[in-house]
Formats: sequence, C-alpha cells, structure tokens
Amino acid sequence: MNIHYKVNGARVEVEVDPDEMLLEVLRRDLDLRSVRTTCGVGVCGACTALIDGEPVSTCIYLAPLADGCEITTVEGLGSDHPVQRAFEEEHAFQCGYCTPGMILTVKTLLEENPHPSDEEIKVALGGNLCRCGCYVKIINAVKRAAAAYSGDPSLVR
Amino acid sequence: MSDPRVTGAIRYAQDVEFEGMLHARVLRSPYPHARVLHVDTSAVPDHIVALTPEDVRGLGSYGCQIKDQSVLAVDRVRFAGDPVVAVAAPTRLEAEEALSLIDVEYETLPSVYDAVEAASEGAPLVHEHHPISDNDAAYFGMRPQQGTNICHRFRIWHGNIQEGFDKAEVIVEEMYRTAGAQHAHMEPHASVALWRGDRLEIWTGTQTPFNLRMDLAGIFGIPEDRIRIICPPMGGAFGAKTFVRYEAIVACLARKAGCPVKIVLDRNEEWLTLNRHPAILRIRLGARADGILVAKQVECWVDTGAYADCGPGVAQKMGYAAVGPYRIPHVWVDSHCIYTNLPPNGAFRGYGAMQAVWASERTMDLLAQQLNVDPLELRLKNVLLDGDRFCTGEVMHDVHFIECLTAVADKIGWADHQAGKGLCVLMKGMQTPSRASIVVVANDDGTYDVHCATAEMGQGAWRSMRLMAAELLNVEPNRVHFPIPDTDIVPYDTRTTSSRSTYMMGRALVEAVRDLKKRGEIGYGECVNKGGLDPDTGQGIASTHWHQGAAAVKVQVDEETGKFQIGKLHTSIYAGRVVNRPGAELQNEGSMIMGIGTALFEGITFADGQVTNANLSDYNIPAAGDIPDITHDLLEREGAEIHGLGETALPPVPAAIGNALYSLGIHVTELPMSAEAVLNAIDHKQTQHAAHDGTASNPHKR
Amino acid sequence: MARNGPEWLAPTTLEEALELRARYGDEATVVAGGTFIGILMSQKIMIPGVLLVLRNVRELVFITGNQFDRTTTGGSPLRIGAMTTHRAVERSAVIRQHWPILAYTFSLVASPRVRNQATVGGVLADADYASDPPALLHALDARAIARSVDGEREIPVEELITGYYETSLRPNELLVEVRIPPGVERAVYRKFRSRSSEDRPCVAVAAAQTNGKLRVVVGAVAERPQYFPDICSLAYGHQLSRELATEIGHRYAESIHPISDARGSAEYRRRVIAVEVRRALEDLLSGSLSGASRESSIGGLHIEGED
Repeated sequence: MNIHYKVNGARVEVEVDPDEMLLEVLRRDLDLRSVRTTCGVGVCGACTALIDGEPVSTCIYLAPLADGCEITTVEGLGSDHPVQRAFEEEHAFQCGYCTPGMILTVKTLLEENPHPSDEEIKVALGGNLCRCGCYVKIINAVKRAAAAYSGDPSLVR
Repeated sequence: MSDPRVTGAIRYAQDVEFEGMLHARVLRSPYPHARVLHVDTSAVPDHIVALTPEDVRGLGSYGCQIKDQSVLAVDRVRFAGDPVVAVAAPTRLEAEEALSLIDVEYETLPSVYDAVEAASEGAPLVHEHHPISDNDAAYFGMRPQQGTNICHRFRIWHGNIQEGFDKAEVIVEEMYRTAGAQHAHMEPHASVALWRGDRLEIWTGTQTPFNLRMDLAGIFGIPEDRIRIICPPMGGAFGAKTFVRYEAIVACLARKAGCPVKIVLDRNEEWLTLNRHPAILRIRLGARADGILVAKQVECWVDTGAYADCGPGVAQKMGYAAVGPYRIPHVWVDSHCIYTNLPPNGAFRGYGAMQAVWASERTMDLLAQQLNVDPLELRLKNVLLDGDRFCTGEVMHDVHFIECLTAVADKIGWADHQAGKGLCVLMKGMQTPSRASIVVVANDDGTYDVHCATAEMGQGAWRSMRLMAAELLNVEPNRVHFPIPDTDIVPYDTRTTSSRSTYMMGRALVEAVRDLKKRGEIGYGECVNKGGLDPDTGQGIASTHWHQGAAAVKVQVDEETGKFQIGKLHTSIYAGRVVNRPGAELQNEGSMIMGIGTALFEGITFADGQVTNANLSDYNIPAAGDIPDITHDLLEREGAEIHGLGETALPPVPAAIGNALYSLGIHVTELPMSAEAVLNAIDHKQTQHAAHDGTASNPHKR
Repeated sequence: MARNGPEWLAPTTLEEALELRARYGDEATVVAGGTFIGILMSQKIMIPGVLLVLRNVRELVFITGNQFDRTTTGGSPLRIGAMTTHRAVERSAVIRQHWPILAYTFSLVASPRVRNQATVGGVLADADYASDPPALLHALDARAIARSVDGEREIPVEELITGYYETSLRPNELLVEVRIPPGVERAVYRKFRSRSSEDRPCVAVAAAQTNGKLRVVVGAVAERPQYFPDICSLAYGHQLSRELATEIGHRYAESIHPISDARGSAEYRRRVIAVEVRRALEDLLSGSLSGASRESSIGGLHIEGED
C-alpha cells in the first residue's frame, strides 16, 4: 500500500504491507533510529512517536492507520528543545534507550499541563519504563522543563 | 552539541547495518529435556540459510567457567528454549516464517526444575560430565561434583562450627528462597557477525569482549587475533550481555551464508537467554546472650539452569556474602551451583549478593528478636572494623559499616521508634583477581584518545574514564575521546562486571598517563589485583577491597490485602572517592529501584519448565509510579580509593523491606514479597497471637 | 519482496462499513483503535487475512446528549460513539463535568499512548476480562448499540460480554455506540493492583447507585464482569451501612470463582474481592446525599445527587 506521512515536517511516501507496524517503517524506510524495538506489546514506551501531536506505541501501530498524519520523533525536535535541554541539565538518562520516548511524552504532558504535580508526572510517565532507574532525575527534568514552559506560552497548547 | 541520547543519535548494536546483511532467527526446543532425534530443514527455501546441529557438531564447546555449551544443542536439549536450529534470511519476517518450515523430532527425557531436588540422589542428570573451562573467566578453583548436577561446590571452613554452636546461647535458623529474575534491559540482545577473509568480526553489545573472543577462538579453533570484537554502547545490560550469547550462532551463519548476519532478539526470547539465579539458602546463626556472634552456618543451593555460565562464580560470591560484614569466629559455608532444566542463569547486578544479603540480614533480625535487642545495636556490636579478619582470613581495611548503618538509621528516625522500619548492612566483593590495561594516545591536534575495553551500558563508564584522564592530563574533558572498544585496538581487560572498572581502569590510567608523559605519543598502563579463595576452605583474598553500604526503610501495610507501601527508603553507600557525581547518583538510584522490583514483584514463573511470564506485561519492572521517597548518600573519605558503585545499593533493599515487615510481626522468607505472601504472613502472625492468648513475644517491643 | 499481507478494507461511511461487515462476517478482523489487534499481530498470536478498518468512519466519533440530567428518569442518555478514544472521554469537558466517574475510569486504562488509540467500542468488543471500562459501564447499566444491514440492536453491557474475549455480537454486526442511561446518583470505581502501579488489575470493583438501586460489578477476576443482583438487592430500601457493605463484600467473594495468575491466586483474589467491594461501598457511602460537590480521589470519583 502507498502511504503518505508528514514525518518531522517532511512529506514522505512509503510502500508498506498492511500488517506492518509503524515502528518498522520509521526505522527501516526512514532511518529514524530513536524509535526502538523493545517489548513488542506497547507497554514500555521506547518506540513512542507522536501522531498528530499525541504519543502512540509504534510497535503495535499498524502503519496504514497513520496515513495522512503528522508523525514526530525526537529527531524532529532538533537538539535544543527545552525538554532535551532539561534532560541534559538534570542528567536524566543513563543508557539512553528509553530517553526519546520519555522526551516525547514529557513534551506532550507539558503542552497540556505546564504545572504538573509529582503525582501527575508519575501518572503521565507510567507507561515509559526505564530499567536503568532514572526516574528520580527524570522527574527533576520534567520540573525543570516545566519552568521553561511556564516562561514561554508559545510552547503550551 | 547535544548528548546523542537526547537527540536520538546514539547507535546501539541493533542499529549496525552492512550491505547484503541477513537477519537471523532461532528455532528453540519446546521441551525442557529431550534427545534430538532428527532435524529436517529440507522445506526451507534455498535463499534462506539454515544452521543445523550437524553444521556445528565439529566445533569446540564453550562456557565461561564450565565448558558445557555448544553453538546449537547437539543431540540433546536441556531447557525449553534451547536453540536447535538457526536461520538467516533477507528479512526478519522471512527468517521467522522459515522456522515454521523446520521439522524437529524429539524424544523427551525426565527433567528437574528445583535446585534442592536436582542436587539429590537419583535426580535426572542435566549434564553427565562437567569439564572446567580454560577461559579467563574461570579464574578460581572449580569443584564440579562429577556424576551429579552440582557443577561447583564452594566451601568456607573458619574456626570450628560445632564448637561455635556449642558456645552459642541463642541460635536461630531459617530457610529462604529467592525467585529468578530477568534483567529486562530495554535494548534486546543484538549481534552482527561477518567474516573478512579468515578473520571473524563481531559487532555486539557485550560487557566481556576478551572472554568472548577467547571462547569464540576455542569454538572455531582459530587464534584469538583472528577475531575482532567491536562493542557499541548498550541500552542496559546488568550482567545479561556477558560471554557467548548469540555471537557464535551469527558467526556460523555468516560463514555458511558468506555474508554478514545480524540477530536481534524478540523480547520473550530474553527469558530464554540468561536470567538471575534462583536460590535457596539455609542460615543457622548463633550468638552469646550479650549479642556477640559466635557461629554461622550457611548452605546455598544456587539454580544455574541448564548451562552453568558463571554460576560457579555466583555460588562462590553468594557463599561468602551470606556470612555478612561481621566478626564471627566459627563459620561454615557450603554453596552449591546446581543444574536444572530451566533457562541458564548468569551474572545479574549484585552477582549473588542480593540472595545472600536477603537471607543473612533477615536472620540478623530474627536473632535480634530472640535476644530481645535492637537490630541496630546487634549489628553495630558485630560489624567488621579495620584490622578485623573476615571468615576468609583476609584483613579488612577501609571499612565503614558503622558510618553507613548510622547514617541510614538516622535518616528514618530509628531512635524514635522502630515499628514498620527495617535496616540492612552489606558487603560485597569485587572481581579478584583481575587485570585491567589501558592505552592513552596523544593526537597532533592536542586531543587524546583513550583505548579501553570497558563497556558502556549506561553506567557512565566512558564519561568517568574521560573525566579521570582529563584530570590527569590537565585538559578539558572535551579534549579526551573514548572510541568504542575494539579488541584490535584496546589492550586486555578482564571484563566490565562486578563494579570494578572505574577503580581498576582508573589505576591503569594513572600508569598510562605517567607512561605517556615519558614517551610522548603513547602511554600504556596496567593494574592487576591479586587474590582468590581456596574453593575447599574459602581461605585467601576474596576481594581487593569491599563494596559496602546500608539501607533503611519505612513501610505501611494494608493488613487487609497484604499490599504495602514504602514510605521512605534511604541507602548510604561507601564510594571512597566519587569521580562522576551525577553518574554515581544515577547508579545508586538505579540500583535501589531495581532492588524495589526484586523486593516487591519481580519473579520468573514456570510451569513444567516453561516460562509463563515472558513479556513486560506479565513480568513487572518498576515504573515511575512505583518510586517512593528514595534518597541516598555517597560516603567519601579523603585519599580513599575509588570504590565501584554499580551494584551496591541493590542487595540491601529487599532485606531492609523484609526486616521492616518483620518489625510488624510479618515474617516473609521468600522473594518477591508479594501482597499475597504478606497477607499469608499476617494470617500466620494473627494465628500465633491467638494461640498464645496475645502474650507472644512482641516485635514492637523495642 | 512479494508477499501476501492481509487485505485492507477502509470504509469511509458507516453504511459502507456495515456492507463490508455483512459480506465478510468474521473472516474480516475489525480494527477500531488497533491497540489490541496490534498486540496480537505484533506477537503473531493472530495473522488476519482481512482487516476491516473503521478509522475513517468519522460518524462513529461523538459524545452527545441533549440534556445531561443524570438523576431523573426521563432524562436523556449519554451517547458515545464507538470510535471515540479513551483519551477523548478522559478529556471531554462535558463528561468531566457531568459524568466524572467515566472520565476517571477511562483515565485509568494502561498508558496515555494506549488511551490515544483505544476506543470505547473497541474495549467492549475486545471483552478483555481485565479492562476497566466494561465493569464500570456494566455498573452504570450501559447499553451497547449494535448495527447491521438488518437494523439496530440494543445490548446491555451485561449481556454483551459472554466470556474471555467473547461477545454476543453477531458476525454481521458492528458496535457503533455506547449509551449510558440517566438516573445515576453516585458511582465509584476501584482498581486494585497487587504489583506494579502499571500492572493489570488483580481485582476491580465498580459500584453505582441508580434510581435507588445498587449495582456492584467486580472485574478482572473472571472471564466476564461479575454482578449478582440478588446480593445487591440486600441494599434496596436500606441505608447503606458498613455492616451491609461488609456483608455484600463477603457474599460477592463467596459467589465468584476467580482466576489464579501472577497477580494472585484464586484464594487471594477472593479475599481481596471481599475487602474491595466493601471499600467501594464505603466510598459510595461517604458521598453526601445533598449538594452538588464533585470530588475526585484515588479511590474513586464521586458524583453527587442533586436535590
């Protein structure tokens, strides 16, 4: 099937099989490696991408379902997004494997709720597993990024 | 210039690509123990390469400590999941489909799934013979008990155990169990193999490049220098990415196919690759009425699964870690590494210390209760001090158990009251003996390259190395590069395990920089730590220095459901000297969180030898919402040696939690401490109280 | 690489979808949000030959009701289109204000990623025994509206789910809407996880008081949500007291044959059922009978009756 996406701002056309998952298409056809093969059942979040601004598990997302949609991966954030900066400043990662998924999830959390409580942060990040156990610093990074969001209304929905 | 981890630019082994590369998948035995009668791959399409047991029969066997593995199971499978055939195809999907075209005929054999049962007379043998490996990783005297399922027996004889118990005025005894666990590193195992002429090149996520190279050389019967191992950073490892995993399979496929072959495991295959040793420990502890310890007897049954891997080493470390950081004149330890027909178990963060500390520290609280003394006082009275001898005969130095214990006790307000609170103190060893070497090269542009085999799995080793080098060279850290380890370039290192690298490589680095300053362009440095234990007496040097720490925790229990919350968890870990502070904090926090998983809900479940929770939905690992109020401190001392921090804060967490529950009269002896197990223990407590008309010894009374 | 992947049918109208459904029946796997099917396909548990994808049937995405008069009979039901996502229910201003228990319960499902994809119709049609919404909808006496080329059928959620991943939907029917009748005075939902905060529930309890009638539904313990009207009738016409709540809890525990799995044995679940049913009723109890306060808590969302 011929599918059209807008990926990180660029229009693309890909040939996919109807039963292929978006994760495979993003990695193989578009060379986007920040979305990663991990649990295969949508629970860990390491394959997270944004579809029309909302996070989904690309490992269980049938590729044709995103036809016509805008897809964002961490490659599309560049290297100086407030959430990326906050993660670096707070050292909120170790092996880095789960980090893109975390960053995208945090981005959407803060767009909707720029002043999340600790509890709200934990609930929002519940579906992003980090086996290295960086949650303490990740929560600190969210709060640091929130400060940036508070200061810049253009970032919030 | 942003960190590649936040931009997504970092590349792991699963991202390695070569022109014409094929993708591999493995066909596994459905039976826990069976003879392989016939393998028929005739239906597999011609363009797909199939590797059968016949293809590998003539290759050398391997195993880091016991040489009990073959590249594929030849003639016999020993666990449900044992690889029998491997295929390589242009796409992963085609490889997957090809597996269903392969026919294998089996004849099932009796199997055994419990370590105590497997060690008993008449148990079916998983291996008839246990040849000791000549790999570097078999660095201690091995004692396989031929004709049994016991592939290693480690003993400590210190003093006279019978005399010790005769002197004891109070004796407690208990039996403990710990479930197996899966490392659940986020990045699955991934390896790529290709042959360049007669040289084998492997790109793989591994913590042990030189041990791997050695075993591969033995498998193919070629000199080590015809093998090159390149180690991309890993998305977590925690011990799972050690020794030969799938590298031999992809190397064989690549040779047969004549092109590069990559394998990336499906998540459920991770439970069939390497797990943490389940263990059963019996502890008997005797003390005088004044609380001074006099005798301790420890028995460990360590379930190593169908292949030994580094089980002997784990059994050994578990054996001496179970004695604990205490002065005990009479000690007897008997630790057995035992085969069962379950997936192989190997290195897992803590390396035997978690199981040992669980049993040992819970027993201390049982003793405190019997003696009617404060568990903190009991420990402070008995912990090792500088100059004391451990049960191995080695003299302790640079130990800070009292400081760690006092710090954690203060943090949770131990002095105020103790109901619902638990403590733990631990010591664990560092790989001894071992050797680390490192090279530093001065580039023309004023930058430096550090050639070092230390693997990066998220612990921040490469950064620590760069920081240390920068300090020694007196340059900014961004002038120091750490290229990914390549055995063609880096000098020998024992391996990246046991929290040894910052210390050992740090010392080697000092020598290398000194050498560089003398020679100008290149400097070489080495650090060797000597020692080892006699496997029959446990005497010698277990560890060059000791990883030490303590944990304290407060819990609240819902006595109607057995579910409990951790109110506060604090650890105090001896760091000696911190090199990379954020990295050190992350390692402590990460270890504690993994400890919470082990304590509360991590356990592999089996039914008739089949793993029944081989996915991240049925097997829970800690999520953000599971994190309680957790804090820690890193103890440093002026002029002290760097002490590794990669694991120390994990083992004390389950024991401290178990002791906190025990302070409420809830006695749990198995890990994980499920809500159901806690509820059963609460029932038991209530039955006991009822039976004694409420006059039973009250653990609250402290 | 030529291979035969499944056929992809993507109707753009309900009419078209129903025609395709009639033509293919159970030969075509219906894809609503796609999370459940995605897992089954990713894990090769299911290899469908035909996919009937409802993503473009926009007329199935709606949240409406003329008048959100929950408490008086004769008021209009809340109507939610089958392709409405969990996230839309969670965020809907109208549902948050007038049916907060729904917003709350849907917000408990899995993770934000799942909720962005999974639909109200899908979660009922999947009939996953551990899902949260079916138990709550059951307690609210919700109806699933099934359409086919032959017409429309209203199926109480109670009758919709017939077993593990089994419904009473016919091979030519599509679930198009969920309707929640008015008259709900108070409702709570409790999700008891025995392990991680991200785990599937060990025991879940939904309890609602509608037109004076109490419905307690226990989920996640057996093949379908467990409801015992005769036990609930103990509460009819009586003040709901702690003693009564305890009695109902015990009877529910005795009447259910729970599953055993990694989250708990059958015996453990039975004990938790007794406790959690009692607690759900205590949560219901603690809501005041007059005034219009709406509060949310971790234990459950209370919606107050209006005098």
